Amino acid sequence: MEEEGDEIQERYGKRPREILPFLAPRLRRIFEKLTEDWWANLEEIRLRAGKPLQISGSTLAFLTSDGAVSVDPKAGYVVTEDDIYRTIQLIGGNSLYTLEAELKEGFITIPGGHRIGLSGECLSADGRLVRVQKITSLNIRLAKELIGIAHNLMPYLYTKDRLLRTLILSPPQAGKTTLLRDIIRTLSNGEGIGRPIKVGLVDERNEISGAFHGIPQLDIGVSTDLLCGCPKKDGVFLLLRSMGPQVIAMDEIGRPGDIEFVEEILNSGVGFISTAHAWSTQDLAVRPGLRRIWRRALVERVVILSRRLGSGTLEGIWDGQSKEPLCTEAFRLEVKAE
Amino acid sequence: MKVFGALLILFSGAAIGWIYGLNLRRREKQLGEFIQFFQWLSTEVQYSALPLPEAYAKIAGRLKGETAGLVECCREFLESAHGMTGDEAWQESINAKRERFSLNEEDWSVLVDFGRTLGNTDREHQVKAITQTTNRLELRQQEAKINADKNERIYRYMGVAAGAIVVLFIY
Repeated sequence: MEEEGDEIQERYGKRPREILPFLAPRLRRIFEKLTEDWWANLEEIRLRAGKPLQISGSTLAFLTSDGAVSVDPKAGYVVTEDDIYRTIQLIGGNSLYTLEAELKEGFITIPGGHRIGLSGECLSADGRLVRVQKITSLNIRLAKELIGIAHNLMPYLYTKDRLLRTLILSPPQAGKTTLLRDIIRTLSNGEGIGRPIKVGLVDERNEISGAFHGIPQLDIGVSTDLLCGCPKKDGVFLLLRSMGPQVIAMDEIGRPGDIEFVEEILNSGVGFISTAHAWSTQDLAVRPGLRRIWRRALVERVVILSRRLGSGTLEGIWDGQSKEPLCTEAFRLEVKAE
Repeated sequence: MKVFGALLILFSGAAIGWIYGLNLRRREKQLGEFIQFFQWLSTEVQYSALPLPEAYAKIAGRLKGETAGLVECCREFLESAHGMTGDEAWQESINAKRERFSLNEEDWSVLVDFGRTLGNTDREHQVKAITQTTNRLELRQQEAKINADKNERIYRYMGVAAGAIVVLFIY
């Protein structure tokens, strides 16, 4: 059992079991009985008051009170309000007053880089969200750290001593943040490229670095300057002014207003890598927040991921300027040792 | 021998009276320690936004008397692997340590009430709850002081008098 656990740690860098101390005692006892296979593939735990305990990995399933996995919702352990209350108290260190910003944002990052999304009854004032007041649903997203997953992609993204301006596209939960993190780590450590590259990372939601109290919990390399919990636009210009990065990295562009500052970075001569929600280059070409990037050939590489063969399926790499595919054979990205 | 026995009874009566009187003063003093604790806690929550275990550790180091032990005990409960909420840890600490205090039931009910909001509200409400508890404790401390001023001597005299009555009765 211990050996299996070590294998998971080797694969994911961090033990998914790190989340156990943050679960309400009743839920913790259920998860302690979960098999190692499930731990290895576990991506999300969903707690909804009065609903069965749901987990998702390679498939969606429910956990019974004995820790057995079932596809029948009726067999699932029914999560109580008390379970959610206790879990949130443990996540917040019994000090919810320290998490006001997080309650407003709707998510909390815990040590290990795992993210807990919150939903329930909100408190609003003057038509604006103040915070999630009564939490009735939690989505615990386990941080996956796949060290070396970018190894095969680097020859496409790094040429002539610089990172080509790159955009990673994928639907949700296809592994784009995991891939972005490993590309940042590879550049920052200079693995396979001869020298380390100074990366300025704007991690608005702490999703890339898994930062807890500003300290990255996931490996983002030795030459990365992290700016976390900061709006992308402000963060980018702060890093450019103060830290002299060779590459600017950020997650999930595509909201209205993003394109203006992204265009400035793309034209500033600094390397750029980011992700966006999209399914294909055709999708990219019509999305209002992103199409300008594609049509004006502002990026040099577009990497597309999907879940077709499982999370982290590489659908292809496109040349952003000639619009020609460079690699179209779908395969699942895997950890490759140096 | 008779004289020695009589002196012993008198001394015991005086000691009992003295202890009763001392308890009245201890209650006033311990309420003062709790007030001090809540004032420091309010500062840590409002200005430093320290999580409860860290705030407890910091304050327990500065507090004196039995209150420091109770706060430290609460921190240990919170940091244990039992998954206790802030309220549960507070109640358990009170249960574990209350014998060491000279507080009465009403004093404890103020402290128990405070636990219900512990750590589960935003900063503004947390500070309000602390202030409210502090105000209630200050009233109880004033009452404890008046009670001690009025009754401390009476208890001492009564102890000596009771001892003397027993001596007279026996001899």
